[in-house]
Amino acid sequence: MFAFSTSPRPLASRPPIPQQLKERAKPVLSASSRTIEIDPALRSLLPNGSFQRGTTTTLFGPEGSGATSLGISLMAHASSTGHWCGVVGARDPGVTAMKELGLDVRRVIFVPHPQAGWADAAAELLDGVDVLLLCPPRNVPHAAARRLMARAKERRSVLLIRTVTPKQWPIVPELTLSLTSASWQGVGHGDGHLTARRVAVTVHGRRGASRPVEQWLWLPTRQGTVREAG
Amino acid sequence: MERLVALWCPGFSNEGPRGEEVRAFAELLDSVRERCPFVEPVRRGVAVFPARAPSRFFGGEDAVIAMLRNDLGALCENQGTALHVGISEGLFSALCAARRDVIIPPGEFLAFLRPLPITTLRRSELAVLCQRLGLHTLGRFADLPYERVLERFGSDGAHCHQVVNGREGELLGIRDPSIHPRLRSLEEAIPPPAQPTFFGGTSFADERATRAALRLQRRFGSASVQVAREAYGHDPNEQAVLVPFGSQGEERVTVAQRMAPWPGRIPSPSPTVVLSAPPPVCLVDKTGTPVWVSVDGLLTGEPERVVLGDKAKTIVAWAGPWPLATRWWEKRRFRARLQVLSDKGEGALLGFEHGQWWLLGRYD
Repeated sequence: MFAFSTSPRPLASRPPIPQQLKERAKPVLSASSRTIEIDPALRSLLPNGSFQRGTTTTLFGPEGSGATSLGISLMAHASSTGHWCGVVGARDPGVTAMKELGLDVRRVIFVPHPQAGWADAAAELLDGVDVLLLCPPRNVPHAAARRLMARAKERRSVLLIRTVTPKQWPIVPELTLSLTSASWQGVGHGDGHLTARRVAVTVHGRRGASRPVEQWLWLPTRQGTVREAG
Repeated sequence: MERLVALWCPGFSNEGPRGEEVRAFAELLDSVRERCPFVEPVRRGVAVFPARAPSRFFGGEDAVIAMLRNDLGALCENQGTALHVGISEGLFSALCAARRDVIIPPGEFLAFLRPLPITTLRRSELAVLCQRLGLHTLGRFADLPYERVLERFGSDGAHCHQVVNGREGELLGIRDPSIHPRLRSLEEAIPPPAQPTFFGGTSFADERATRAALRLQRRFGSASVQVAREAYGHDPNEQAVLVPFGSQGEERVTVAQRMAPWPGRIPSPSPTVVLSAPPPVCLVDKTGTPVWVSVDGLLTGEPERVVLGDKAKTIVAWAGPWPLATRWWEKRRFRARLQVLSDKGEGALLGFEHGQWWLLGRYD
Protein backbone atom coordinates (compact mmCIF):
# COMPACT_ATOMS: atom_id res chain seq x y z
CA MET A 1 0.00 0.00 0.00
CA PHE A 2 1.34 3.43 -0.90
CA ALA A 3 1.82 5.86 1.90
CA PHE A 4 -0.38 8.52 0.29
CA SER A 5 -2.90 6.27 -1.38
CA THR A 6 -6.24 8.00 -1.73
CA SER A 7 -8.30 4.82 -1.70
CA PRO A 8 -10.14 4.59 1.59
CA ARG A 9 -9.06 1.69 3.72
CA PRO A 10 -11.43 0.10 6.16
CA LEU A 11 -11.26 1.70 9.56
CA ALA A 12 -10.21 -1.52 11.28
CA SER A 13 -6.98 -1.79 9.27
CA ARG A 14 -5.76 1.67 10.31
CA PRO A 15 -3.36 1.86 13.23
CA PRO A 16 -5.15 3.17 16.31
CA ILE A 17 -4.43 6.69 17.56
CA PRO A 18 -2.51 6.60 20.84
CA GLN A 19 -4.72 7.25 23.84
CA GLN A 20 -2.97 10.42 25.06
CA LEU A 21 -3.07 11.89 21.57
CA LYS A 22 -6.66 10.98 20.93
CA GLU A 23 -8.03 13.69 23.18
CA ARG A 24 -6.09 16.45 21.45
CA ALA A 25 -6.47 15.24 17.86
CA LYS A 26 -9.30 16.89 15.97
CA PRO A 27 -11.19 15.52 13.03
CA VAL A 28 -10.06 17.10 9.76
CA LEU A 29 -13.55 18.40 8.97
CA SER A 30 -14.57 21.32 11.07
CA ALA A 31 -18.22 21.60 12.03
CA SER A 32 -18.79 24.49 9.64
CA SER A 33 -17.74 22.46 6.63
CA ARG A 34 -20.11 19.68 7.56
CA THR A 35 -23.17 21.87 7.75
CA ILE A 36 -24.83 24.64 5.82
CA GLU A 37 -26.36 27.32 7.99
CA ILE A 38 -29.91 28.50 7.54
CA ASP A 39 -31.81 31.61 8.55
CA PRO A 40 -31.75 31.81 12.38
CA ALA A 41 -35.54 32.26 12.33
CA LEU A 42 -35.94 28.82 10.77
CA ARG A 43 -33.43 26.97 12.93
CA SER A 44 -36.08 25.28 15.02
CA LEU A 45 -37.32 23.46 11.90
CA LEU A 46 -34.22 21.33 11.41
CA PRO A 47 -32.96 18.73 13.91
CA ASN A 48 -29.55 20.37 14.34
CA GLY A 49 -30.50 23.88 13.41
CA SER A 50 -28.70 23.59 10.08
CA PHE A 51 -28.46 21.37 7.04
CA GLN A 52 -26.05 18.46 7.20
CA ARG A 53 -24.07 18.51 3.98
CA GLY A 54 -24.84 15.57 1.70
CA THR A 55 -28.40 15.12 2.89
CA THR A 56 -31.68 15.28 1.04
CA THR A 57 -34.80 17.05 2.25
CA THR A 58 -38.19 16.94 0.62
CA LEU A 59 -40.60 19.85 0.88
CA PHE A 60 -44.01 18.46 0.24
CA GLY A 61 -47.26 20.32 -0.06
CA PRO A 62 -49.96 21.04 -2.62
CA GLU A 63 -49.56 24.01 -4.93
CA GLY A 64 -50.16 27.19 -3.01
CA SER A 65 -49.15 25.68 0.33
CA GLY A 66 -45.94 27.67 0.47
CA ALA A 67 -43.50 24.81 -0.12
CA THR A 68 -41.65 26.80 -2.78
CA SER A 69 -41.39 29.82 -0.48
CA LEU A 70 -40.05 27.60 2.27
CA GLY A 71 -37.46 26.12 -0.10
CA ILE A 72 -36.34 29.60 -1.11
CA SER A 73 -36.12 30.79 2.50
CA LEU A 74 -34.06 27.76 3.45
CA MET A 75 -31.56 28.61 0.67
CA ALA A 76 -31.52 32.34 1.40
CA HIS A 77 -29.00 32.37 4.23
CA ALA A 78 -26.60 30.09 2.37
CA SER A 79 -26.65 32.30 -0.72
CA SER A 80 -26.04 35.46 1.27
CA THR A 81 -22.97 33.88 2.88
CA GLY A 82 -21.34 33.06 -0.43
CA HIS A 83 -22.69 29.62 -1.24
CA TRP A 84 -24.04 29.08 -4.72
CA CYS A 85 -27.54 27.72 -5.16
CA GLY A 86 -29.26 25.99 -8.07
CA VAL A 87 -32.90 25.78 -9.06
CA VAL A 88 -33.75 22.96 -11.47
CA GLY A 89 -37.15 22.31 -12.99
CA ALA A 90 -39.01 25.32 -11.61
CA ARG A 91 -40.53 26.37 -14.89
CA ASP A 92 -41.51 29.92 -14.02
CA PRO A 93 -39.53 31.02 -10.98
CA GLY A 94 -40.65 34.27 -9.40
CA VAL A 95 -37.30 35.99 -9.13
CA THR A 96 -38.77 39.05 -7.43
CA ALA A 97 -40.26 36.86 -4.70
CA MET A 98 -36.88 35.16 -4.27
CA LYS A 99 -35.23 38.53 -3.72
CA GLU A 100 -37.90 39.50 -1.22
CA LEU A 101 -37.33 36.29 0.73
CA GLY A 102 -33.67 37.17 1.06
CA LEU A 103 -32.12 34.99 -1.65
CA ASP A 104 -29.11 36.58 -3.32
CA VAL A 105 -30.17 35.82 -6.88
CA ARG A 106 -26.75 36.77 -8.22
CA ARG A 107 -25.52 33.43 -6.88
CA VAL A 108 -28.34 31.29 -8.22
CA ILE A 109 -28.15 29.17 -11.37
CA PHE A 110 -31.50 28.36 -12.93
CA VAL A 111 -32.27 25.44 -15.23
CA PRO A 112 -35.96 26.17 -15.83
CA HIS A 113 -36.76 23.70 -18.61
CA PRO A 114 -34.57 20.61 -18.27
CA GLN A 115 -37.35 18.40 -19.72
CA ALA A 116 -36.28 14.75 -19.98
CA GLY A 117 -32.77 15.60 -18.83
CA TRP A 118 -33.85 16.91 -15.42
CA ALA A 119 -31.98 14.23 -13.47
CA ASP A 120 -28.80 14.72 -15.49
CA ALA A 121 -29.03 18.48 -15.15
CA ALA A 122 -29.53 18.22 -11.39
CA ALA A 123 -26.65 15.75 -11.03
CA GLU A 124 -24.38 18.01 -13.06
CA LEU A 125 -25.36 21.10 -11.10
CA LEU A 126 -24.80 19.34 -7.76
CA ASP A 127 -21.11 19.48 -8.72
CA GLY A 128 -21.12 23.23 -8.73
CA VAL A 129 -23.55 24.43 -6.09
CA ASP A 130 -23.94 23.84 -2.38
CA VAL A 131 -27.73 23.90 -2.22
CA LEU A 132 -29.97 22.68 -5.01
CA LEU A 133 -33.73 23.11 -5.15
CA LEU A 134 -35.23 20.54 -7.50
CA CYS A 135 -38.80 20.45 -8.76
CA PRO A 136 -38.98 16.95 -10.27
CA PRO A 137 -41.62 15.81 -12.77
CA ARG A 138 -44.59 13.69 -11.73
CA ASN A 139 -43.03 10.26 -12.12
CA VAL A 140 -39.57 9.99 -10.70
CA PRO A 141 -37.81 6.69 -11.48
CA HIS A 142 -36.39 5.01 -8.41
CA ALA A 143 -32.95 4.80 -10.02
CA ALA A 144 -32.82 8.53 -10.77
CA ALA A 145 -33.79 9.41 -7.21
CA ARG A 146 -31.19 7.06 -5.77
CA ARG A 147 -28.51 8.42 -8.09
CA LEU A 148 -29.23 12.03 -7.20
CA MET A 149 -29.21 11.35 -3.47
CA ALA A 150 -25.92 9.50 -3.83
CA ARG A 151 -24.54 12.38 -5.87
CA ALA A 152 -25.54 14.89 -3.21
CA LYS A 153 -23.86 12.74 -0.59
CA GLU A 154 -20.72 12.41 -2.67
CA ARG A 155 -20.50 16.12 -3.54
CA ARG A 156 -21.50 17.10 0.01
CA SER A 157 -24.26 19.37 -1.25
CA VAL A 158 -27.72 19.85 0.16
CA LEU A 159 -30.56 18.64 -2.04
CA LEU A 160 -34.02 20.14 -1.52
CA ILE A 161 -36.88 18.55 -3.41
CA ARG A 162 -40.18 20.30 -3.84
CA THR A 163 -42.91 17.72 -4.44
CA VAL A 164 -46.69 17.87 -4.55
CA THR A 165 -47.39 14.39 -3.18
CA PRO A 166 -45.24 12.46 -0.69
CA LYS A 167 -44.99 9.49 -3.07
CA GLN A 168 -43.57 11.63 -5.87
CA TRP A 169 -40.05 11.12 -4.53
CA PRO A 170 -39.72 7.33 -4.30
CA ILE A 171 -36.99 7.18 -1.63
CA VAL A 172 -37.46 8.28 1.96
CA PRO A 173 -35.08 11.21 2.45
CA GLU A 174 -33.24 12.22 5.61
CA LEU A 175 -35.81 14.87 6.34
CA THR A 176 -39.34 15.61 5.17
CA LEU A 177 -41.02 18.96 5.68
CA SER A 178 -44.69 18.75 4.84
CA LEU A 179 -46.82 21.84 4.59
CA THR A 180 -50.40 21.06 5.44
CA SER A 181 -52.29 24.29 5.85
CA ALA A 182 -51.77 27.85 4.75
CA SER A 183 -53.85 30.90 5.48
CA TRP A 184 -53.26 34.33 4.02
CA GLN A 185 -54.00 37.54 5.79
CA GLY A 186 -54.70 41.04 4.64
CA VAL A 187 -57.14 40.40 1.85
CA GLY A 188 -60.89 41.00 2.07
CA HIS A 189 -63.64 41.54 -0.46
CA GLY A 190 -61.87 43.88 -2.78
CA ASP A 191 -59.86 45.66 -0.12
CA GLY A 192 -56.34 45.23 1.26
CA HIS A 193 -53.76 42.96 -0.39
CA LEU A 194 -52.02 39.70 0.45
CA THR A 195 -49.65 40.57 3.30
CA ALA A 196 -48.72 37.62 5.49
CA ARG A 197 -49.23 33.89 5.43
CA ARG A 198 -49.34 31.44 8.32
CA VAL A 199 -48.35 27.91 7.41
CA ALA A 200 -48.15 24.68 9.37
CA VAL A 201 -44.99 22.65 8.78
CA THR A 202 -44.63 19.07 9.96
CA VAL A 203 -41.03 17.98 10.31
CA HIS A 204 -40.33 14.30 10.08
CA GLY A 205 -37.15 12.42 9.41
CA ARG A 206 -34.46 10.06 10.47
CA ARG A 207 -31.81 10.77 13.08
CA GLY A 208 -33.05 13.14 15.75
CA ALA A 209 -36.34 13.90 14.04
CA SER A 210 -38.07 10.54 14.02
CA ARG A 211 -41.04 11.94 15.92
CA PRO A 212 -43.11 14.25 13.69
CA VAL A 213 -43.25 17.76 15.08
CA GLU A 214 -45.69 20.37 13.86
CA GLN A 215 -44.68 24.00 13.81
CA TRP A 216 -46.27 27.22 12.68
CA LEU A 217 -44.44 29.74 10.56
CA TRP A 218 -45.09 33.15 9.10
CA LEU A 219 -44.07 32.69 5.47
CA PRO A 220 -43.77 35.63 4.89
CA THR A 221 -44.49 38.03 7.70
CA ARG A 222 -45.97 41.47 7.06
CA GLN A 223 -42.42 42.77 6.72
CA GLY A 224 -41.57 40.15 4.10
CA THR A 225 -39.32 38.09 6.35
CA VAL A 226 -39.80 34.61 7.78
CA ARG A 227 -40.53 34.01 11.43
CA GLU A 228 -41.85 31.36 13.75
CA ALA A 229 -45.51 31.85 14.59
CA GLY A 230 -46.76 31.29 18.09
CA MET B 1 -0.88 -0.30 -39.79
CA GLU B 2 -3.55 0.65 -37.32
CA ARG B 3 -7.13 0.63 -38.50
CA LEU B 4 -8.81 3.93 -37.79
CA VAL B 5 -12.36 5.23 -37.81
CA ALA B 6 -12.51 8.73 -39.23
CA LEU B 7 -15.39 11.17 -38.76
CA TRP B 8 -15.83 14.13 -41.04
CA CYS B 9 -18.43 16.88 -40.63
CA PRO B 10 -18.04 19.36 -43.51
CA GLY B 11 -20.20 21.92 -41.66
CA PHE B 12 -17.63 22.26 -38.89
CA SER B 13 -14.61 22.71 -41.20
CA ASN B 14 -14.66 26.48 -40.98
CA GLU B 15 -15.12 28.52 -37.89
CA GLY B 16 -17.50 31.44 -38.05
CA PRO B 17 -17.16 34.65 -36.04
CA ARG B 18 -19.33 33.27 -33.24
CA GLY B 19 -17.41 30.02 -32.88
CA GLU B 20 -20.61 27.95 -32.97
CA GLU B 21 -18.95 25.33 -35.17
CA VAL B 22 -16.09 24.62 -32.80
CA ARG B 23 -18.46 24.42 -29.86
CA ALA B 24 -20.65 21.95 -31.73
CA PHE B 25 -17.55 20.00 -32.73
CA ALA B 26 -16.45 19.85 -29.09
CA GLU B 27 -19.89 18.58 -28.19
CA LEU B 28 -19.59 15.92 -30.89
CA LEU B 29 -16.18 14.85 -29.57
CA ASP B 30 -17.61 14.60 -26.05
CA SER B 31 -20.44 12.42 -27.18
CA VAL B 32 -18.07 10.12 -29.13
CA ARG B 33 -15.74 10.04 -26.13
CA GLU B 34 -18.48 8.53 -24.02
CA ARG B 35 -18.31 5.39 -26.17
CA CYS B 36 -14.76 5.48 -27.54
CA PRO B 37 -12.44 7.31 -25.16
CA PHE B 38 -9.47 7.52 -27.54
CA VAL B 39 -11.05 9.83 -30.07
CA GLU B 40 -8.78 12.73 -31.07
CA PRO B 41 -9.46 15.76 -33.19
CA VAL B 42 -7.39 16.01 -36.36
CA ARG B 43 -8.55 19.40 -37.51
CA ARG B 44 -11.81 21.39 -37.46
CA GLY B 45 -14.59 18.98 -38.31
CA VAL B 46 -12.38 15.88 -38.49
CA ALA B 47 -11.79 13.37 -35.71
CA VAL B 48 -10.31 9.92 -35.63
CA PHE B 49 -10.06 6.96 -33.25
CA PRO B 50 -8.69 3.39 -33.39
CA ALA B 51 -11.21 0.93 -34.75
CA ARG B 52 -10.03 -2.29 -33.20
CA ALA B 53 -11.22 -2.07 -29.61
CA PRO B 54 -14.62 -0.46 -30.28
CA SER B 55 -15.40 -2.87 -33.10
CA ARG B 56 -14.64 -5.81 -30.84
CA PHE B 57 -16.68 -4.35 -28.02
CA PHE B 58 -19.70 -3.26 -30.01
CA GLY B 59 -19.75 -6.25 -32.35
CA GLY B 60 -18.07 -5.26 -35.58
CA GLU B 61 -17.16 -2.15 -37.50
CA ASP B 62 -20.64 -1.86 -38.96
CA ALA B 63 -22.02 -1.75 -35.45
CA VAL B 64 -19.59 1.03 -34.50
CA ILE B 65 -20.66 3.12 -37.48
CA ALA B 66 -24.35 2.47 -36.85
CA MET B 67 -23.86 3.51 -33.23
CA LEU B 68 -22.02 6.70 -34.22
CA ARG B 69 -24.74 7.65 -36.68
CA ASN B 70 -27.33 6.97 -34.04
CA ASP B 71 -25.51 9.02 -31.36
CA LEU B 72 -24.48 11.93 -33.52
CA GLY B 73 -27.29 12.07 -36.06
CA ALA B 74 -29.45 14.49 -34.10
CA LEU B 75 -26.52 16.76 -33.19
CA CYS B 76 -25.32 17.01 -36.80
CA GLU B 77 -28.82 17.56 -38.08
CA ASN B 78 -29.37 20.42 -35.63
CA GLN B 79 -26.16 22.04 -36.82
CA GLY B 80 -27.06 21.45 -40.44
CA THR B 81 -24.05 19.39 -41.34
CA ALA B 82 -23.61 15.99 -42.88
CA LEU B 83 -21.75 13.25 -41.02
CA HIS B 84 -19.30 11.11 -42.99
CA VAL B 85 -17.68 8.05 -41.45
CA GLY B 86 -15.08 5.75 -42.91
CA ILE B 87 -12.71 3.02 -41.73
CA SER B 88 -9.36 2.16 -43.20
CA GLU B 89 -5.69 1.71 -42.28
CA GLY B 90 -3.66 4.83 -41.55
CA LEU B 91 -4.87 8.36 -41.13
CA PHE B 92 -4.60 9.34 -44.79
CA SER B 93 -6.56 6.45 -46.16
CA ALA B 94 -9.10 6.59 -43.29
CA LEU B 95 -9.88 10.20 -44.18
CA CYS B 96 -10.19 9.26 -47.86
CA ALA B 97 -12.58 6.49 -46.78
CA ALA B 98 -14.62 8.93 -44.69
CA ARG B 99 -14.96 11.27 -47.66
CA ARG B 100 -16.58 8.42 -49.57
CA ASP B 101 -18.44 6.89 -46.58
CA VAL B 102 -16.91 3.43 -47.01
CA ILE B 103 -15.37 0.74 -44.84
CA ILE B 104 -12.27 -0.60 -46.56
CA PRO B 105 -11.78 -4.32 -45.84
CA PRO B 106 -8.63 -5.01 -43.79
CA GLY B 107 -5.45 -5.10 -45.85
CA GLU B 108 -6.98 -3.65 -49.01
CA PHE B 109 -6.39 0.01 -48.43
CA LEU B 110 -3.63 0.21 -51.04
CA ALA B 111 -6.02 -1.01 -53.69
CA PHE B 112 -8.46 1.63 -52.47
CA LEU B 113 -5.88 4.41 -52.70
CA ARG B 114 -4.56 3.49 -56.16
CA PRO B 115 -7.35 4.90 -58.33
CA LEU B 116 -7.65 8.14 -56.35
CA PRO B 117 -6.52 11.30 -58.21
CA ILE B 118 -3.04 12.64 -57.46
CA THR B 119 -4.61 15.88 -56.18
CA THR B 120 -5.84 13.99 -53.11
CA LEU B 121 -2.36 14.53 -51.65
CA ARG B 122 -2.96 18.30 -51.63
CA ARG B 123 0.52 19.03 -52.98
CA SER B 124 -0.22 21.33 -55.91
CA GLU B 125 3.31 21.49 -57.26
CA LEU B 126 3.71 17.74 -57.16
CA ALA B 127 0.24 17.20 -58.63
CA VAL B 128 0.87 19.56 -61.56
CA LEU B 129 4.18 17.90 -62.35
CA CYS B 130 2.79 14.39 -62.11
CA GLN B 131 -0.16 15.27 -64.29
CA ARG B 132 2.19 16.71 -66.92
CA LEU B 133 4.07 13.43 -66.78
CA GLY B 134 0.82 11.57 -67.28
CA LEU B 135 0.63 10.22 -63.75
CA HIS B 136 -2.96 11.01 -62.82
CA THR B 137 -3.59 8.55 -60.00
CA LEU B 138 -1.94 7.76 -56.68
CA GLY B 139 -1.28 4.25 -57.96
CA ARG B 140 0.79 5.46 -60.88
CA PHE B 141 2.74 7.72 -58.55
CA ALA B 142 3.27 4.87 -56.10
CA ASP B 143 4.77 2.71 -58.84
CA LEU B 144 7.65 5.14 -59.36
CA PRO B 145 10.92 4.00 -57.79
CA TYR B 146 11.56 5.64 -54.43
CA GLU B 147 15.01 6.96 -55.33
CA ARG B 148 13.73 8.70 -58.46
CA VAL B 149 10.94 10.38 -56.46
CA LEU B 150 13.37 11.53 -53.80
CA GLU B 151 15.64 12.92 -56.50
CA ARG B 152 12.92 14.76 -58.38
CA PHE B 153 10.49 15.87 -55.66
CA GLY B 154 12.68 16.14 -52.58
CA SER B 155 11.96 14.85 -49.11
CA ASP B 156 8.31 15.91 -49.05
CA GLY B 157 7.64 14.12 -52.31
CA ALA B 158 9.40 11.07 -50.94
CA HIS B 159 7.20 11.22 -47.83
CA CYS B 160 4.08 11.28 -50.04
CA HIS B 161 5.47 8.30 -51.90
CA GLN B 162 5.88 6.40 -48.63
CA VAL B 163 2.28 7.22 -47.69
CA VAL B 164 0.72 6.05 -50.94
CA ASN B 165 2.80 2.87 -50.74
CA GLY B 166 1.45 2.16 -47.27
CA ARG B 167 4.78 2.47 -45.49
CA GLU B 168 3.58 5.47 -43.54
CA GLY B 169 0.05 6.08 -42.41
CA GLU B 170 -0.04 9.76 -41.88
CA LEU B 171 0.42 12.40 -44.50
CA LEU B 172 2.24 15.47 -43.17
CA GLY B 173 0.05 18.56 -43.06
CA ILE B 174 -3.15 16.59 -42.62
CA ARG B 175 -3.39 17.64 -38.98
CA ASP B 176 -4.18 21.15 -37.88
CA PRO B 177 -2.45 21.51 -34.50
CA SER B 178 -4.36 24.73 -33.76
CA ILE B 179 -7.49 22.70 -33.00
CA HIS B 180 -6.11 21.53 -29.65
CA PRO B 181 -5.54 24.96 -28.09
CA ARG B 182 -8.87 26.07 -29.57
CA LEU B 183 -10.77 23.21 -27.91
CA ARG B 184 -8.92 23.78 -24.66
CA SER B 185 -9.85 27.45 -24.78
CA LEU B 186 -13.51 26.40 -24.88
CA GLU B 187 -13.12 24.37 -21.74
CA GLU B 188 -11.31 27.09 -19.93
CA ALA B 189 -13.31 30.03 -21.15
CA ILE B 190 -14.82 31.34 -17.97
CA PRO B 191 -16.93 34.40 -18.46
CA PRO B 192 -16.72 36.93 -15.65
CA PRO B 193 -18.81 35.46 -12.83
CA ALA B 194 -22.00 37.18 -11.82
CA GLN B 195 -20.71 38.03 -8.38
CA PRO B 196 -17.22 39.44 -7.86
CA THR B 197 -15.81 38.93 -4.38
CA PHE B 198 -14.67 41.66 -2.07
CA PHE B 199 -11.40 42.29 -3.83
CA GLY B 200 -12.95 41.95 -7.25
CA GLY B 201 -11.49 38.51 -7.87
CA THR B 202 -13.32 35.22 -8.01
CA SER B 203 -13.57 32.75 -5.19
CA PHE B 204 -13.22 29.02 -5.48
CA ALA B 205 -16.98 28.61 -5.12
CA ASP B 206 -17.62 31.05 -7.97
CA GLU B 207 -15.25 29.15 -10.19
CA ARG B 208 -16.78 25.81 -9.31
CA ALA B 209 -20.29 27.06 -10.02
CA THR B 210 -19.15 28.63 -13.28
CA ARG B 211 -17.59 25.40 -14.44
CA ALA B 212 -20.72 23.42 -13.63
CA ALA B 213 -22.87 25.95 -15.49
CA LEU B 214 -20.59 25.80 -18.54
CA ARG B 215 -20.71 22.00 -18.55
CA LEU B 216 -24.50 22.15 -18.40
CA GLN B 217 -24.56 24.64 -21.26
CA ARG B 218 -22.45 22.38 -23.41
CA ARG B 219 -24.70 19.50 -22.67
CA PHE B 220 -28.17 21.07 -22.82
CA GLY B 221 -27.60 24.15 -24.96
CA SER B 222 -26.56 27.64 -23.98
CA ALA B 223 -30.10 28.92 -23.35
CA SER B 224 -30.92 26.16 -20.86
CA VAL B 225 -28.83 27.55 -18.02
CA GLN B 226 -29.98 30.93 -16.82
CA VAL B 227 -29.19 33.59 -14.27
CA ALA B 228 -31.31 36.42 -12.98
CA ARG B 229 -30.83 40.04 -14.02
CA GLU B 230 -32.42 43.01 -12.39
CA ALA B 231 -35.06 44.85 -14.34
CA TYR B 232 -37.79 47.28 -13.47
CA GLY B 233 -41.44 47.46 -14.35
CA HIS B 234 -44.98 47.22 -13.07
CA ASP B 235 -45.51 43.50 -13.20
CA PRO B 236 -43.60 40.80 -11.35
CA ASN B 237 -42.47 39.35 -14.68
CA GLU B 238 -40.94 42.71 -15.60
CA GLN B 239 -39.06 43.25 -12.37
CA ALA B 240 -36.47 40.55 -13.01
CA VAL B 241 -35.52 38.64 -16.11
CA LEU B 242 -33.71 35.37 -16.63
CA VAL B 243 -30.95 35.50 -19.21
CA PRO B 244 -28.67 32.70 -20.46
CA PHE B 245 -25.64 32.19 -18.24
CA GLY B 246 -22.59 34.08 -19.41
CA SER B 247 -24.46 36.39 -21.75
CA GLN B 248 -22.69 39.70 -21.96
CA GLY B 249 -25.78 41.87 -22.42
CA GLU B 250 -25.55 45.27 -20.79
CA GLU B 251 -27.40 46.03 -17.59
CA ARG B 252 -30.86 47.02 -18.64
CA VAL B 253 -31.61 49.15 -15.60
CA THR B 254 -30.98 52.87 -15.64
CA VAL B 255 -30.98 55.08 -12.58
CA ALA B 256 -34.19 56.73 -13.76
CA GLN B 257 -35.87 53.35 -13.89
CA ARG B 258 -34.60 52.41 -10.47
CA MET B 259 -35.82 55.63 -8.90
CA ALA B 260 -39.14 55.56 -10.72
CA PRO B 261 -42.12 54.87 -8.45
CA TRP B 262 -43.88 52.54 -10.87
CA PRO B 263 -47.40 53.45 -9.78
CA GLY B 264 -49.74 50.50 -9.72
CA ARG B 265 -47.00 48.10 -8.75
CA ILE B 266 -48.32 45.18 -6.70
CA PRO B 267 -47.11 45.47 -3.11
CA SER B 268 -44.89 42.69 -1.84
CA PRO B 269 -44.94 39.72 -1.31
CA SER B 270 -44.57 38.86 -4.97
CA PRO B 271 -45.80 35.60 -6.47
CA THR B 272 -43.24 32.79 -6.26
CA VAL B 273 -44.41 31.39 -9.59
CA VAL B 274 -44.53 33.97 -12.38
CA LEU B 275 -45.92 32.42 -15.53
CA SER B 276 -43.96 33.34 -18.62
CA ALA B 277 -46.91 32.37 -20.82
CA PRO B 278 -50.00 33.35 -18.81
CA PRO B 279 -52.98 31.11 -19.57
CA PRO B 280 -56.42 32.71 -19.97
CA VAL B 281 -58.81 32.18 -17.05
CA CYS B 282 -62.50 32.90 -16.49
CA LEU B 283 -63.76 34.80 -13.48
CA VAL B 284 -67.46 34.31 -12.74
CA ASP B 285 -69.85 35.47 -10.03
CA LYS B 286 -72.52 33.48 -8.11
CA THR B 287 -74.87 33.32 -11.06
CA GLY B 288 -72.16 32.20 -13.42
CA THR B 289 -71.91 35.45 -15.34
CA PRO B 290 -68.38 36.55 -16.18
CA VAL B 291 -66.88 39.33 -14.11
CA TRP B 292 -65.00 42.09 -15.94
CA VAL B 293 -63.30 45.30 -15.08
CA SER B 294 -65.54 48.22 -15.99
CA VAL B 295 -64.33 51.40 -17.64
CA ASP B 296 -64.12 53.17 -14.26
CA GLY B 297 -61.82 50.44 -12.96
CA LEU B 298 -64.27 48.46 -10.82
CA LEU B 299 -65.33 44.84 -10.97
CA THR B 300 -68.73 44.28 -12.59
CA GLY B 301 -69.69 41.70 -9.93
CA GLU B 302 -68.44 39.79 -6.91
CA PRO B 303 -66.08 37.05 -8.10
CA GLU B 304 -67.16 33.60 -6.89
CA ARG B 305 -65.15 31.16 -8.94
CA VAL B 306 -62.06 31.21 -11.14
CA VAL B 307 -61.93 28.66 -13.95
CA LEU B 308 -58.67 27.55 -15.55
CA GLY B 309 -59.25 24.99 -18.27
CA ASP B 310 -61.51 22.38 -16.69
CA LYS B 311 -60.50 23.20 -13.11
CA ALA B 312 -62.62 25.59 -11.06
CA LYS B 313 -61.69 27.08 -7.70
CA THR B 314 -63.91 28.90 -5.25
CA ILE B 315 -62.78 32.37 -4.33
CA VAL B 316 -63.15 33.36 -0.67
CA ALA B 317 -61.37 36.70 -0.76
CA TRP B 318 -59.93 39.06 -3.29
CA ALA B 319 -58.07 42.32 -3.46
CA GLY B 320 -58.17 44.87 -6.24
CA PRO B 321 -58.67 45.42 -9.04
CA TRP B 322 -55.73 47.75 -9.34
CA PRO B 323 -55.95 49.52 -12.65
CA LEU B 324 -52.69 50.19 -14.37
CA ALA B 325 -52.87 53.54 -16.08
CA THR B 326 -50.15 53.87 -18.64
CA ARG B 327 -49.57 56.51 -21.25
CA TRP B 328 -52.42 56.91 -23.68
CA TRP B 329 -50.20 56.22 -26.68
CA GLU B 330 -49.15 52.80 -25.47
CA LYS B 331 -50.82 49.77 -26.92
CA ARG B 332 -51.40 47.98 -23.61
CA ARG B 333 -53.26 50.93 -22.19
CA PHE B 334 -56.01 49.37 -20.20
CA ARG B 335 -54.78 46.85 -17.70
CA ALA B 336 -55.79 45.81 -14.20
CA ARG B 337 -54.59 43.24 -11.70
CA LEU B 338 -56.46 41.29 -9.05
CA GLN B 339 -55.30 39.09 -6.20
CA VAL B 340 -57.60 36.18 -5.42
CA LEU B 341 -57.55 33.68 -2.57
CA SER B 342 -59.16 30.26 -2.95
CA ASP B 343 -60.95 28.32 -0.22
CA LYS B 344 -57.90 26.03 0.03
CA GLY B 345 -55.65 28.95 0.89
CA GLU B 346 -54.03 29.28 -2.52
CA GLY B 347 -53.26 32.79 -3.62
CA ALA B 348 -53.08 33.82 -7.27
CA LEU B 349 -52.46 36.99 -9.23
CA LEU B 350 -54.76 37.63 -12.16
CA GLY B 351 -54.35 40.25 -14.83
CA PHE B 352 -57.01 41.83 -17.01
CA GLU B 353 -55.95 42.78 -20.49
CA HIS B 354 -57.51 42.73 -23.96
CA GLY B 355 -60.92 42.12 -22.34
CA GLN B 356 -59.76 38.83 -20.82
CA TRP B 357 -58.44 37.58 -17.46
CA TRP B 358 -55.03 35.90 -17.39
CA LEU B 359 -53.29 33.93 -14.64
CA LEU B 360 -50.08 35.91 -14.09
CA GLY B 361 -48.67 34.19 -11.05
CA ARG B 362 -49.21 31.97 -8.05
CA TYR B 363 -48.21 32.45 -4.45
CA ASP B 364 -46.68 29.13 -3.51
